[in-house]
Order: sequence, then C-alpha cells, then structure tokens
Amino acid sequence: MKDSYEAIVIGAGHAGCEAGLALAKKGHKTLLLTISLDAVAFLACNPSIGGTAKGQLVSEIDALGGEMGIIADKTMIQIRMLNRGRGPAVQSLRAQSDKVQYHVEMKKVIENTDNLYLKQAEVIDIHIEKNKKIIRTAVGDEFICDVVVFATGVYLDSRIIIGEYTENVGPNGFKNAKKLSSSLTNLGYKLLRFKTGTPARINSRSIDFSELEEQHGDLNIQTFSFLTKEKPKDLASCYLTYTNLETHKIILENLDKAPAISGEIKGIGPRYCPSIETKIVRFADKDRHQLFLEPEALSTSEIYIQGFSTSMPAEIQHKMIHSIKGLEKAEIMRDAYAIEYDCIDPIQLKPSLESKIHEGLFFAGQINGTSGYEEAAAQGLMAGINAALKLENKNPLILSRSDAYIGVLIDDIVTKGTEEPYRMMTSRAEYRLSLRQDNADLRLTEKGREVGLVDDIRYKKFLEKKENLNKAIQLLNQKLKLDEKLILFFENNNENPPKNSITVREAVKRPNIDAFKINQEYQIFNDFDEEIINELNIITKYDGYLNQQEEDIQKMKKMEDVKIPENFTYENQKGLKIETIQKLSKIKPINLGQASRISGVSPADIAVLSVLIKKFKEKK
Amino acid sequence: MNNTIVAISTPMGKGAISIVRLSGDKSLFIAKKVFLCKENIEPRKMILGKFIIEQGITEKCLMVYFKSPNSFTGEDIVEFHIHGGIILARKIQQKLIEEGAVLAEPGEFSKRAFENGKISLDEAESIIGEINSESEAELKSVLSSASGKLLDKIKNIQSDLTMLLAEIEVTMDYPEEDENEVVRDKIFEKLDAIQLSLRETLKNADAARYIRNGVNVALVGKANVGKSSLLNALIGENKAIVTSTEGTTRDVIEAKVDFQGIRFNFFDTAGIRDSNDDIEKIGIEKSKEKLEECDLVLLIYDGSEEFTKNDNDILKIIKKPFISVINKKDLKRKMKKQENEISVSAKLESNIEQLKQKIYDTIIKNEINFNGLVVTNERQLNHLKEAEKQIDEIFSVKNESLEIISMLIKKVWKELGKITGETENEDIISLIFSKFCVGK
Repeated sequence: MKDSYEAIVIGAGHAGCEAGLALAKKGHKTLLLTISLDAVAFLACNPSIGGTAKGQLVSEIDALGGEMGIIADKTMIQIRMLNRGRGPAVQSLRAQSDKVQYHVEMKKVIENTDNLYLKQAEVIDIHIEKNKKIIRTAVGDEFICDVVVFATGVYLDSRIIIGEYTENVGPNGFKNAKKLSSSLTNLGYKLLRFKTGTPARINSRSIDFSELEEQHGDLNIQTFSFLTKEKPKDLASCYLTYTNLETHKIILENLDKAPAISGEIKGIGPRYCPSIETKIVRFADKDRHQLFLEPEALSTSEIYIQGFSTSMPAEIQHKMIHSIKGLEKAEIMRDAYAIEYDCIDPIQLKPSLESKIHEGLFFAGQINGTSGYEEAAAQGLMAGINAALKLENKNPLILSRSDAYIGVLIDDIVTKGTEEPYRMMTSRAEYRLSLRQDNADLRLTEKGREVGLVDDIRYKKFLEKKENLNKAIQLLNQKLKLDEKLILFFENNNENPPKNSITVREAVKRPNIDAFKINQEYQIFNDFDEEIINELNIITKYDGYLNQQEEDIQKMKKMEDVKIPENFTYENQKGLKIETIQKLSKIKPINLGQASRISGVSPADIAVLSVLIKKFKEKK
Repeated sequence: MNNTIVAISTPMGKGAISIVRLSGDKSLFIAKKVFLCKENIEPRKMILGKFIIEQGITEKCLMVYFKSPNSFTGEDIVEFHIHGGIILARKIQQKLIEEGAVLAEPGEFSKRAFENGKISLDEAESIIGEINSESEAELKSVLSSASGKLLDKIKNIQSDLTMLLAEIEVTMDYPEEDENEVVRDKIFEKLDAIQLSLRETLKNADAARYIRNGVNVALVGKANVGKSSLLNALIGENKAIVTSTEGTTRDVIEAKVDFQGIRFNFFDTAGIRDSNDDIEKIGIEKSKEKLEECDLVLLIYDGSEEFTKNDNDILKIIKKPFISVINKKDLKRKMKKQENEISVSAKLESNIEQLKQKIYDTIIKNEINFNGLVVTNERQLNHLKEAEKQIDEIFSVKNESLEIISMLIKKVWKELGKITGETENEDIISLIFSKFCVGK
C-alpha cells in the first residue's frame, strides 16, 4: 500500500516551501520532501533577502499570499532601501537576514500548516502510470499523487569544487540527489549544467573593523510584507572593504589552479555573479574590487564576504583573504566553493510552470535555470498555485509582464530559455514604472484573493488601503486659493507661484513640491498615513509616463488576448518561414503576445500567424 | 481597440489621382481635424472640401467616409482622393500621422478585413501572401546595396543607444557597486552625439529623396518678368504659355529636366499680385502652395527694371533656399545687386546651363555625398523622424529621474528597431555584464 497525496513537492528550499504552503493552504493534502530537514529554507549563499528587482519580487510574493516577505521581515537584522535617491520604480528593499532564524521560522510555519506533511527523504525516481505519479525514495518508500512540483534547487547531481578538491555533495556539504537527474532524462527532459559559487565565511572576532566603513540600515522605510506592523530593525552592521593589488597578484600567480579558468568546471556560471578570479581577469584595469562583510546571523560570529566568491584551492583562498584590509588575521571558518548542478531547459515549461511534456508535473526554482532565493520563491508560489488549480480543474494563474516581476521572470525563462543562471533585474522589465515595490499589493492582492491564498486579514487591509487611496486621490482635485500663503509656499520651495488658484494635483506635479509638503502647509492629507501620501506623489508626478506605459501595455494585452489553441500545429503552415515554424513549435506560445517575444520571430510572422490562427479557429 | 492606420492606397507611380486611406475607430475623428467642408459628412458620399496640410496651406480634395461595418476592413474608413503625384499624397499621409494615425504595416488593411470577416477564409492565403510580399519588399529595400549603408548606420545608432542604456541601467540595478555611477551630463552629451548622427542620416535621407523624386524648383517673381520664357529656356521646349499679357500663367506648370543625373522638377507659378480675376486667384493660391512645397525657389527679376515694393513683398514670403535670377541680361541693368544672384537671358538662352549648375550646387552638392548615398523609403523616413523627435522630447525633460530617461531612450531604440527589424533589445543586459564589473 503506497501513501497517497494530492500533491508532492520535491525539495523544501525557497521554491519548495512556497509551493508546499500554497498547495496546503488551498486545501490539498501535500507531501513536502527534503533531502535534509536541516536544509529547509536554507540561505545557502548571501545572508540577505531582496535587492534590486528582488525586493519587488518579495513584495509580490507577499501580496499574492506567499510566505517569504513575512519571514524575511521577522528575521531581518537590518534593512535598506536601495536607490533611495532615484525614482520610485527602481527603489528596492534589501535586508540582511538571520540565516539561522530564517530556517527556523519557515520550518515552524510549514510544520504548523494543516494538510502539509514535511518529510526528510531523497527522491530517486518518478514514474507515471495513468496520470498517477509514483515517487520512490532512496530508502524504498513509495508515494503516489496527482501533481508533482520539482523544486530541487542545486542538489541535482551536484558537486562542489575547491581547487583540485571536488566532492559529489550539495551546498554546504548537504547530501545531494544522485539519481533524480537520470529519472528526468528518462522522462524526456533536456538537462543543462550550470554552476554557481559562494565566498568564504570568516569569524567576526578575528576581523579588525577599526578602519572599515560601517553600513547601517534605514529605519524609516517600509518592510517587505504588507502585513508587517513592526518598524524595521537595525541590529547589526555590514562593513565595507576592498581587494588590492596584492590580492590580485596572489590570484594572478595562481590562476592555473583556478578550476573555473583551467576548464575543470564545465558548468555555465552566471555573469552577474563572477568569482573574484574571473573579475580580475576580465577587468584587469581595476585596481580594487568592493567587498561587503555581512553578518550571517545574530547567533553566530560567521561573516559572509560578499564579492569574494572563488573556487581557488583553500590555501590560496586564505592568502587572498589575508591580503585584504581588516582581514589580515581573519580566521576562515568555511571555505569558498563553486558548485555545479543539473537543471532543466526551462523552455520545456508552459507559462503556468507545468511541463509541456507531462501533465501534472510542475517545476520551480533553480531547477529551471534561475538563481536567487527570491526568484525561486516566486516560481515556487506560482507552481504551487497552478498545481492546486490543476487539481481543482481550473485555469492556471498566469501573471503578465505588466502585472508583476514574477510575470516577467516566468515569461522570460519559458519563452527565451536561459544560457546562464537567470537573475531578475529591473532592466528586464519593460513596464518597470508600474512594477514598483510600493504598489505590489495594489497590483496583486486581488489575484491572490481570487485563487484563495489571500486571507481575510490581508484582504481587509488591502481594501482599506485602496479606499483610503481613492479618497486621497479625490482630494487632489481640491483647489488651493491664490493668496499670499500660496505664493509664499511656492516661493519657499523654489517654484514660480501660479497665476491663478491651482489644484493640489497641479501643485504636486511641480518638481520641488510634493504631497507631504502640501500637507504640512495645508493639512489636507492629515487622515492618511505616509504610505498613501507617498503613493499619491508617485502616481501624480509620473502620471504622464504611467499613461504612456499603459498604452504600450494595452497594445501588448491585445496581442495576448489572441490565444493560440493547444492543438494548433505549425508544421506545413503555408506562409511561415521554416525557421519560424521550428521556433514556434519548440516554444508553443500560448498567445500571440508570447509568440512575438520569441527571438527571431518578426512582426510580419506575427501578422501571418494571426491570420492562420483565425482560420484555424473558424474552420473548427 | 485597434489603432487607426493610414496608407497611400494607390500605386506609387504617377497617377492623376491618389487615394490616402484611414481605417480604425478614430478615422472620422482624425479626418474632421484636417478636412474642411460645407456639406454634412454621410457614409458613402463623396464630399468636396479642403485638406489642411499646415496652417495656411490647404489642398482641395474629395473625401469619402465608410461607416463600420460597411467598409473594406469592416472598420470606419475615410478616403481622401487627391489630385497630383506622390509628394502631395505623402504630405497628406504625414499630416494624418501627425494627427494620430499610424502608418499601416504590410498587408494590414487586408489583414483587418480578414479579421473582421470581410474576406473569406479561403482568401486567407492571399492575405498571407500580401503580408509576406510587402514585408519582403520592404526588407529588400532596406537591404539593397545603397540602403544597406543606411541599415548599418541605424544599427550603429541603435548600439550606441544600447551602450548608453547599459550605462544607465547598471547604476540602477547595481546601486551598491562603486565606480559605475553615470554622470547625468555624460548621458546627455552622448545623446546629443546620437541625435547629431540621426540628423545626419535624415539629411542624407533627404538627399536620397532628391535622387529618387528629383528636386522641386519653383519659379516665382512678379508678373511679366519672364518666368515662362525662362522655364522654356530651361527645358528647351514650349510648354508654358508665353505672352506678354500680365497674368497668363494661371496654372502651375510642371516640367522636368535631367541635369547630371538629378531630375529638376520645375513649377512655373502665376505672377504673384493681387488679382480680381477668379481663375487667376486660384492660380495665385496654388503658387503660394508650391512655394511651401518646393526645395528651392528661383526668384526672378526683370534686370531692366528697378527693385520695387512688389519684388520685396515676394522676397518676404520665401522661406526656402533661393537663387535670384536676374533676367533680361541683354537689356541695360537697373536692378540692384541681389542675394545669391545669377544673370541670364531667357530670350537669348544665355547663361541657362550655368543656372542649372547653380541650382545643382545650391541644393545637391552640399547635401549629397554620393559615396555614402542612402536610399530610404517612406516608412523608414517616418521612423527616423519620429526617433529624432523623441530625442528632442528627452532633452525637454532632462531633469526627470534616470528610469524615465531610460524609458524614453528605449522608446527611441524601438522606433529605430522598426527599420532594422530588431524588436527586442537583448544586449543591454549582456553589456552590463561585459562592460561593468558587477555582482557579488
């Protein structure tokens, strides 16, 4: 007798946790398998959550009813708003997280969620019998279910590399998944081999901080989750130091021992996360590289050296570290390593993250060729939601590129694939102006509510905010009378006073005036909190650009409204070039919009395709 | 909702009548902005009126409105039936674009007709054929040997923009990295250089237009200075009616002559003076229009007379490059020295070749570098102009935050991509990683 579940999630990292929670919260009996219970929601690399574009991802996960934002807020050591001096669209939160507490808190949530069963096991095989999926573990257990979410992270046939030393293990020495790769190959999946790396950890007691620049957190900013009521914490600092010519000399003298450069490592690494040896070779003219020293957790002295990932032999690593200011006497607690792993080519997935090859198999996180906790969690949440919707016989939730960074992320990987571990960046989002950290709830809470992940508390809070915002927007129409007070107010803010009475909206549009200043003077927005007034400023000041963007969005939406039927075939379609047919058959876009984003598909191809689709639909 | 498209729907040759057609929800709205008429506009009724090309310049033409769904595309359609050649048709099209229409994509009218069920399924293949052949024709024109240079040039501009974007984007995506900070002034300096190179291309495109369509030269001057005789001397045939009664040239006469591989299109105009004769009034109006349309003006004086107020009035209305032609050089000169002048005698056909050379030098020599010659079609020209305008707009909002500047630069890139066929800029991110040292 096999244990039976509705859903099984393989892997309990950032993707697996969100997937499991989403399935269980939607009422489906779900088994969450992890290779080690000590590796649940493990921050294997940076002790930090967020960053440019990633901060937005976390708030989006939160707005949809995911868990990452809540845990990140709860376990933060400090938090900062990046790009504070720039426009609102590129402002992103980045928190230093307590690595130990993050794992503890997430595991606690999972253990206390109904319908969710967390278990330690290595999955070695999956096979499909009449739509039922049978999962076999290394110790011989078998589980049966209807849908599976693969969230295996970097554990598939992984190996770590430190100089000539290499070992077939997962991150941080955790056991890896040795046999699941071949099970996937047998099922027909094309695998890619990627690599990434992590720097050394050193003991803070051995660091001389006296001459290093200290970096505090920001206190007066929002946090990731729209539910968090507590103000940001600033419990420990980061420090800034630099590599120097001596460091570079050590590296250059030992380049032959660097596996990434000697060719020992075959996996494709991310360009945005180069090892220090790669940086020094590629940017030979730079005489120093910036390094951040980040606390791993409040309960440990371990310090993470951001910017210093390497796969050099341990002995050389030590020399490199000791050449750096402040780290002359550093005690190395964990060596830096590179890690190679298998992942699937993500173009084998639909925008719902369901496999095109097998119904009911979903994939999320680093197994899809992405990198980063936030990217993983975002996919995990979407895969979980869509696996649940599949069980419920409902249409999948597909976020568009104009809805969310999550939409951009998934559309990118399933439409274009990826040649290196994919990291989210704000430059990838063409509708960046609308996809802000501050309005993630306004963009997504309603969708989260529809699929049933947004509970009453969150929904009520959201409705209140929306109502308040609408009230505040109404107040923008209020007139400010032309009198001495107004003239003085404008002059004090270096703005030419208006010739007539002016609406609040017009006043807010002035570069040197904003709703906060107007409120100080006129007490118009006294009933509203900072969040609302900030929102007012953004939508008023950027009104013209937002409208421009909205026009583009509408054009794209129109194309996305033209669905391509699943049984539409491209072979033998007259009027399409052979290369175009090959590309389209490979990606199988779900609508014209997605088709138009496949590289090499021209606007004329899309025009032809639209005629063919209409013909196909009408002939039926 | 579909946008409203426009295209010249008659063949690009020389026909008596050209039709410029709008299709989409806003067809009538746009048409009403530019078309003045006394009658009520009703579906399927030809209405005579005036098309306002720009302020003060109108063209008499016919307009027909087809109300959705009873039209070729099934959408609201407005057609303008205009007299004359391609240049006028293009002006009308350009005006409609300025008023909110977009240039139709290859085969788009038929495609819309098909989408709205106006063309049967069996004809789908012919529409696909139309889309493909029209876009291939465009592609060919872009790739043609002379135009290939244009393509290279625009691709270069695009990659300059991409590099600039990478520089801006890296500071936003990697705010914590030192040394990547772009200075705003540097952005605008680079954008300025890009704008310059775009303008150069446009200028070349104009030059190319001369090669393709010829140079339009208007002959103006007060009545009876010998315009028609000069025209006859230039083309070597008796086309214009030459009499010595003032005001005999009532229509704008077009004549062509080839000079060193360039075609000159001459327009003889009615003598500009106030007239009570109705027919002549029309002629005078037309003359003023031609003055706006042409590339060069020959301002003709009677050398045997003094410079009069009437001459001065004419001089004042000319806004285009001009050559002062002092006619009747066989008679005793009383006319004072004029700007950029040449003396000729139309009657004796003396100095006529030199005049042609001067026309050529004035308009062509400085503008066309024959080696770097580029040929552009109307669509390309449109996108180039639009891109240029968009850069101007960026300069007008210089103080906006970088993400806005970046958004606007991306728009320019996309506009140019419509010429080069590159629709997605995938290089920005690659450049960020190859040019800048970023990442943990």
